[in-house]
Amino acid sequence: MNGVVMALRGLYGVWLREITRATRDRAQLIGGISRPLIWLLILGVGLNPYFRGEVYGEVRFVIPYTYLQFLFPAVIVLNIMYTSIQFAVSVIWDREFGFLREVLVSPMPRWLILLGKVLGGATVATLHGALVLVLARFADVTLSLDQVAVALALMFVLAFGLTSFGVILAARVRSFEGFGVFSNTVILPLYFTSSSIFPLDPALTRAQQAVTYPEWLVFLVQINPITYAVDALRGVLINFNQFTPGWGIGVIVGMAVLFFVVAIIDFARQ
Amino acid sequence: MSAVRNRWIRPAVNLLIVVLTLTALSYLPPDTSLADRQKSGVLKLCVPPSYPPLVTADAQQPGFDIELTAKLAERLGLRLNVNRLSSIGTDFNPRNWSLTRGQCDIIAGGVADTVQTRSFLETIPTPIETGWVALSNTGQLPAAGGSVVVLPGTSGLDRLQLSGWLRRQSLQVIPARSPQQFVDVLASGRAAAGITERFLTAGMALPPGSRTFWLPDAQFSRFRMALGLWKGDQTLKRALLSALQATEAAGELEALESRYHVETIGKAP
Repeated sequence: MNGVVMALRGLYGVWLREITRATRDRAQLIGGISRPLIWLLILGVGLNPYFRGEVYGEVRFVIPYTYLQFLFPAVIVLNIMYTSIQFAVSVIWDREFGFLREVLVSPMPRWLILLGKVLGGATVATLHGALVLVLARFADVTLSLDQVAVALALMFVLAFGLTSFGVILAARVRSFEGFGVFSNTVILPLYFTSSSIFPLDPALTRAQQAVTYPEWLVFLVQINPITYAVDALRGVLINFNQFTPGWGIGVIVGMAVLFFVVAIIDFARQ
Repeated sequence: MSAVRNRWIRPAVNLLIVVLTLTALSYLPPDTSLADRQKSGVLKLCVPPSYPPLVTADAQQPGFDIELTAKLAERLGLRLNVNRLSSIGTDFNPRNWSLTRGQCDIIAGGVADTVQTRSFLETIPTPIETGWVALSNTGQLPAAGGSVVVLPGTSGLDRLQLSGWLRRQSLQVIPARSPQQFVDVLASGRAAAGITERFLTAGMALPPGSRTFWLPDAQFSRFRMALGLWKGDQTLKRALLSALQATEAAGELEALESRYHVETIGKAP
């Protein structure tokens, strides 16, 4: 019993350290608000006129929402992706400055230390995702408490998976500088090929999609797991799915399990 | 205890600053649709020549949608300009109605708040309910193999769902191109029943003894009628929604419903 309490206290300690560090760091919080501002206030408003109707019955993309509403869930995912994957910097930091060594010699099992760190990173990333919800009024997205609760749960599981993915990356990158470049080359392509900023019109057939977009792009969108995470959040927040609704939840949970298991293996080797 | 409190003060302050900043920014206007109308002082409403009781040719009782929009315009300090366009409803495809931003700020008089409509327009639902209704002398649809005349209308109800359901019921469909043709087919007895959108029946001279009833709830949802705005006109939509709430709170909306005898949700036509 004592062992369980000790393990939980250790888990809490590692989690709390990550939360405290992230919420005290104003630079991280500024990053958390700058992305939604750029994507929703600048890009969303800037492109909105190109997606609005000028003649009744004639719009380029026949989706029952505005461009800002369409973009809104994707910006939440973007904020979670950046915060989760960049969280790996904290792993590199701990490794470089010896903190990780000190923690690893504690009686806590390594997987529990990793769980504490990943839970901490996922909590912070969910918080950053939740910050975007404050802009729901601007994007004209009406949210009920139920929707917010389900969205937060999905966001947390997604953040858990992506934070674990960040740990996997950190195990393969040795320097801060290298990680900065590497993470951007991972995050941005994943984001742009997730149907985040352009819809694959569900009213069109597979053949018509290939006419609207080149087949290679449609293929990239379809094999990108983030596509289904964005789609799941769209389903919850604006009641719009481009793919079978259950897929998104399945992919988010699958990513969380798979990446955490791989992260445990990598972390055990350190 | 105070050490724990101190530990959380800075993160709490940081978070508070962030949330307050985002909340303040969420009040920025995302477009100029309201500002443009305020500048011109005019709100342009496009309606079909007749769609009773939402739009009528009676100057004393011009229609529910027209009077409602007039009240909203008044609350926004704008003058309402009603454009009665005969092109509205003449074709299944609204693109062929040739309605542009230059002509209309709001489209009303037969716009249902459906997914199909929301694909093209922003909608502000009104309290009035619509859906597919059937008309027959018996108050029932004919048995399998019987004929029904169908006038789909243009309010945005799901025609594909209706045609699939009629096929599964093994009913023969006689398509009608106009309310007059719909009435003629019913009166001639070529069809045992008719199916159309609820408000289209209001302007028809139906054969005596016709009874109107909703199609089964389990298969067919009912929808609210709506005022349609151009996609992306969020600031105008917000202002109109706010004016609608104020109109409702003042009891004017209910008075309008009574005046035009339009029942609210839950009641049969």
